[in-house]
Amino acid sequence: MDRSGVLLGARAIVVEVGELVAFTGRFFREAFRPRFEWRELVRQCYLNGYQSLPLVAITAFIMGLVLTVQSRPTLARFGAETMLPAMVAISVVREIAPVITALICAGKIGSSIGAELGSMKVTEQIDAMEVSGTNPFKFLVVTRIWSTILMLPLLVILADAIAIWACFIGVNMKGAVSWQLFQQQVFDSLVFSDVLPALIKSVFFGLAIGVVGCYKGYNTEKGTEGVGRSAHSAVVVASLVIFILDLVAVQVTEIMGLN
Amino acid sequence: MEGAIHSKMKPAAGVGPEVVIRMRDLHKAFGANKVLKGFDLDVRRGENVMVLGKSGSGKSVLIKCIVGLLRPDQGQVMVLGQDVYALGQDDLDHLRVRIGFLFQSSALYDSMTVRENLEFPLRRHWFAQSAEERDALVKEALENVGLEHTSDLYPSELSGGMRRRIGLARTLILKPEIVLYDEPTTGLDPITGKEIVELILRLQKKYGTSSVIISHDLNVAKLAANRIAILMDGRNYVEGSYDELRSMRDPVVQQFFIFM
Repeated sequence: MDRSGVLLGARAIVVEVGELVAFTGRFFREAFRPRFEWRELVRQCYLNGYQSLPLVAITAFIMGLVLTVQSRPTLARFGAETMLPAMVAISVVREIAPVITALICAGKIGSSIGAELGSMKVTEQIDAMEVSGTNPFKFLVVTRIWSTILMLPLLVILADAIAIWACFIGVNMKGAVSWQLFQQQVFDSLVFSDVLPALIKSVFFGLAIGVVGCYKGYNTEKGTEGVGRSAHSAVVVASLVIFILDLVAVQVTEIMGLN
Repeated sequence: MEGAIHSKMKPAAGVGPEVVIRMRDLHKAFGANKVLKGFDLDVRRGENVMVLGKSGSGKSVLIKCIVGLLRPDQGQVMVLGQDVYALGQDDLDHLRVRIGFLFQSSALYDSMTVRENLEFPLRRHWFAQSAEERDALVKEALENVGLEHTSDLYPSELSGGMRRRIGLARTLILKPEIVLYDEPTTGLDPITGKEIVELILRLQKKYGTSSVIISHDLNVAKLAANRIAILMDGRNYVEGSYDELRSMRDPVVQQFFIFM
């Protein structure tokens, strides 16, 4: 790519980031003003939260089990096998469950929001809503973003619980640890500053998934081809934003002395 | 407007003197592409006005300007005495409830059944309405278009003609004073197209609406329009009844009648 191509690419990224920030600003302006679309919000929470449960649960189970099985030899080498529940619990709660759950949701929810709104845009359903005197941004966008903000922390808590339970199974595959002892080891190792930053982080991950999915869908152009592009770019951009937010969160918790 | 020819015909029966839509000097460009270049049109109460134009001439842009979906670069649109572009969002939403819009694609909400599609505008605007009242209005709307049996179907389960009818039922369920039709027969076979036009006329008579019909289909013009305005080069080139335009010797007008 020549220099002008690089400059054009950089300009497009800057414009996109600016539009995304403006879109987020519009969400915050509209999110706290009546009228509140409670019925649609509940429906979106069901679709984006409840219907993501099986995928998040299965992923969390595998994640907890694999992490336990793969960490055991390393800890055993240092004679620290008894630290296994504590190590897995801290890793899962602080980092793995929030990030993996967010990435899973970026794929499932982000693409679904991007495709649904994109399809509504190109078939004039959003225009139809607007001319019927309904604010489509409030009805479609605000409710979806609120639902991802509210559901992500709940899904992360669920993923934490299932991954720790899977760890218990993993520990007992080559040993015998009672549930009481395992539980004690896990909860002795976890402190408030492990849980809270992870949950706050997951709220921002939810915001990112909702905003990016809605932004991509709401601004879909060029017919059905554009719908596909919106769905896939919603996943790519949301995943990238999740990693960036995670990096920022690590720095903030470090500065605040919570690590 | 220079070069334009405007009809001096008397208003048709049922057409009142009150102007419900007034467009003045509308200009709209998309980049270098100037679509509207000073379009003017008046629509009176009870009147069916058709805007006839070639594909890509800016008909859909024009109709979207009437409801504020697009904002013209210059000019004014007065609807029911209100300046569309001077209204705040809430006032514009209130005005839009008095205007129905039938989209070319019908624009039914895919994720909702036919009943939910029809209930959507009712739930949004008439909060005090009971379930029984909503049921009665949905039933009436479906009876109007002869599709009572489709209430539990999803739009994807309907044919093109049925979707257009349900779109019409949804458009009329709030009893708007003005209805805008964007290419109501495009993509339909001639028989279904004629049925749709007859349905539009029957419902217009029943509810006393004024209409703007955007189309390139002269059969629609012949059957439905009290007055036809030809959109050419971004301007209202000529206005008149079907018969008046048909008898004109102007080559620009005659090209629309080439297959008639």
